[in-house]
Amino acid sequence: MENSFTINNLNLFYGDKQALKNINMDISRYEVTAFIGPSGCGKSTLLRCLNRMNDLIPSVRMEGDIIFDQENINKDKIDVVQLRTRVGMVFQKPNPFPMSIYENVIYGLRCQNIKDKNVLNKVCETSLRKAALWDEVKDRLNDNAYGLSGGQQQRLCIARAIAMEPEVILMDEPTSALDPIATAKIEELIQELKKDYTIIIVTHSMHQAARISDKTAFFLMGEVIEMGETRNLFHVPKDKRTEDYITGRFG
Amino acid sequence: MRKLNIKDIILDGLTYLFSSVSILILITIFIFIFQRGFSSLNLGLFTSPYWSQNYYGTIPESNRIFESDVNFDKNEFYSEKYGIALKDDFNARNEVIVVISYIHPDSPFNQLINASSGINEGKLIVAEEGMIVNKISYITSNGITRSAGPVLKQNAEETIKTINQSIQLDSAFIQTQGGGIMGSLIATLMLIFISLAISLPIGIMTAIYLNEYAKYGRFTPWIRSSIELLTGVPSIVFGLMGVLVLFPITAIFGANGTSIFLGGLTLSIILLPTIIRTTEESLKVVPDSFREASHSLGANHSQTIFKIIIPAALPGILTATILSIGRIIGESAALIYTMGTYISDKPELLKGATSLAVQIWSIMNGDQPNFGLASAISIIILVIVLGMNIGVKVLTRSKVKQW
Amino acid sequence: MNNLSNEYKKLNIFKTYQDLFFKSLFFVSAVISSLMIIIIILFIAQKGISPFLSNYQYGQQNIASFLTGMVWRQDQAIYGVAFIIINTLISGFASLLVAFPISVLTALFVVKIAPKPIGNLIESAIEILASIPSVVYGVFAVGFIVPFIQNLANLLRIQTAGGSSLLAVILLLSIMILPTITSISITAIKAVDIDLEKASYALGASKTQTNFKIVLNSAKSGIFAGAILGLGRAFGEATAVSMVAGNKMFGPTFNLFDITRTMTSTMLAGLKETTGLDYDIRFSVGLVLMGVILISNLAINFVKNRIGKNHA
Repeated sequence: MENSFTINNLNLFYGDKQALKNINMDISRYEVTAFIGPSGCGKSTLLRCLNRMNDLIPSVRMEGDIIFDQENINKDKIDVVQLRTRVGMVFQKPNPFPMSIYENVIYGLRCQNIKDKNVLNKVCETSLRKAALWDEVKDRLNDNAYGLSGGQQQRLCIARAIAMEPEVILMDEPTSALDPIATAKIEELIQELKKDYTIIIVTHSMHQAARISDKTAFFLMGEVIEMGETRNLFHVPKDKRTEDYITGRFG
Repeated sequence: MRKLNIKDIILDGLTYLFSSVSILILITIFIFIFQRGFSSLNLGLFTSPYWSQNYYGTIPESNRIFESDVNFDKNEFYSEKYGIALKDDFNARNEVIVVISYIHPDSPFNQLINASSGINEGKLIVAEEGMIVNKISYITSNGITRSAGPVLKQNAEETIKTINQSIQLDSAFIQTQGGGIMGSLIATLMLIFISLAISLPIGIMTAIYLNEYAKYGRFTPWIRSSIELLTGVPSIVFGLMGVLVLFPITAIFGANGTSIFLGGLTLSIILLPTIIRTTEESLKVVPDSFREASHSLGANHSQTIFKIIIPAALPGILTATILSIGRIIGESAALIYTMGTYISDKPELLKGATSLAVQIWSIMNGDQPNFGLASAISIIILVIVLGMNIGVKVLTRSKVKQW
Repeated sequence: MNNLSNEYKKLNIFKTYQDLFFKSLFFVSAVISSLMIIIIILFIAQKGISPFLSNYQYGQQNIASFLTGMVWRQDQAIYGVAFIIINTLISGFASLLVAFPISVLTALFVVKIAPKPIGNLIESAIEILASIPSVVYGVFAVGFIVPFIQNLANLLRIQTAGGSSLLAVILLLSIMILPTITSISITAIKAVDIDLEKASYALGASKTQTNFKIVLNSAKSGIFAGAILGLGRAFGEATAVSMVAGNKMFGPTFNLFDITRTMTSTMLAGLKETTGLDYDIRFSVGLVLMGVILISNLAINFVKNRIGKNHA
């Protein structure tokens, strides 16, 4: 199975502070890869490199390669706007736009100048179905998105990302702001989604990682300490630091 | 590669274009005002009256030469016989005038005796540089009285030449140039004093009530709304209100018509919302721990307010004051109704007058708008208002650090 | 011990009365402040209506011809305010039309696009423009805008009365309400949640698309409020407008290069006596002015709520 991303010798600096140190990893397609580790160790930073969202932070400087679809997307010449249509993102706090549910889902398509009503309607339904939200909202697509519950809003954000038909979905702690029931629904959804999309998820909960991911990478202080099959990492960790984290001795 | 979005480009272009508009307008306004007004700006503006004063005085005899080692410009013409130098100039309406440019300390022109009938008859006239000479009567060697000066269409040089040929001088018609703002300056100061004296206490006390006593009261939102509504009322309507409602108050004190007092009263109402809002904001910033500490030490509510809270809110109150002064100086419509438009050189509390802004209005509304003077006063107003704005900025920046 | 507690008792009683006194004082101030608006409305309404009552000392005026009349002649005591209302509405809305896009795009530029120093520069320029008094704008308008329009008219071979015109009023008002709308829009745009912008970028939107589809969209209620405030200011502006309006005796004026007459310019024009019909009728105009401001505020709010519902 080919890789979705191959990262070679990636280093990232916020001004003088180094946030990512010599990251080397391969991320497989159609799998769920989890990034775990204590706060501030670089998991979200690395995630944001994969869709060049770090560009929005002015003091950021990067070295190294990120290969996606045989191209190094860490170079300046890349069309980042187009990259983001292929690598979607879901954020920690659900952030639907102050528009109707329908307009939220097709927002990205509108930005690509797609105007055909039939296409838009079809994509809307497909995406909402895939996000397991269609049945709940099919009768109120024109209602304001803010009327949905937290869990529903997050699934809306997932539908919105799926509508772009990305190859990869990045998820930055997608359930940390939700209650356990909503969390369970989304974890179920992720298991369905990995059939069609590569999923990379940053999570604070190693239990979540153990539940839903195929591969896991353990981060500490900007470095990847260990990465491998989730079962192996959790049951027979190779590095003592990994073992300490998993058994709860710190973090 | 995505296709270039035409719509994006147009929107971007418009955004950049429109954003430069405000700076362009500002620069244009300032250049215009300074260009028209700078030449009329001089220190004399601040101390001279607006209305020209006419003087008719007799010139005493003199029997000596008035040598002077003053270096005269080539456009000044000096008469050693009488110790006076004249030069040509333009008045505010760009008409040609002859102006006194130097008077020798011992010259008879320094001892003019007022010859117009009335209370000033026989008193000394103080002739000064800058005064306009309209006519000088002189006595020829044949004993005939003749005239010299602009009334005979003579310029400065010709006038000097003519009087140098005379035996002695008889009398002179001179006048002050006027166009000064001294009266309006005084009126503006009086206005500031009266309106602040009324609106500061009422405004501060209202803010104290709203923030310290009735923060969550039942009627408090109503009180706040009714004060906020005042900010949407155009100032000319305040003028109407002042004439209707506040005039009777001034009448008690003896005013009968527009007056500075009425203008001040009206302004104090206009200032209320700003003072209340700014004071409330500074009261809100005072930490509750101060209030709790004061109460726990046995102070009652009013003691806490006067000893602790008001002192802590002083920077905010100062800001409100400075903002208000800026507003007073700029106000015009309301004052036109309540203070009148007659420019007074000796403003009195119970009589009409003009503030600096209203003087500009009066000038521009007259038969021949004097752009130079209007622009000069505008410069003065702009400098004061800008200075106040900067002052407020400095204040708020430095005081925020306190806690 | 006994004496001391007596002293404390007396002090406590004094302190209680002191508290009561000041509380009443503060309360009275608050009441005075809040009554002001009512006093304004009541008194002006009373005086404004008085010329139309049968006991008016200078002869009862016909309210219908006042409200529907298209002629205003001070010298002949003909007072019709209908065309003046139309003129005021035209000049107010036209200046809003001109100033609104400039203000909103400037605000967007300052908050989202410009580098900090340039953004601060423009913001300061806006603040300075906001503090320039109306009279000074009036001087500028008479000395710069009016001659400019005269030249423009000559170029286009259109007749104009020396440049004082509807166009002059519109340009002047646009400049005067620009700072108001811009500063309120800046506040509204600054308040937009950054998470919304991040979501937009993550979906592959460009910066411009994000700014217009998301940022301005989210800020629209604040921006609308700014527009309403600006419009109110345009309606109520008196001194500067009266210097360039021209005060036409009939109307309404639709020709940009023709002179016009607004309610505020009417209230200031030819102000000589402080008694008489000519003076009192200005109060009637003032009353109409307040009515127009109130109604237009309500109308815009109504429109805003309707649009809000449809766009969800």
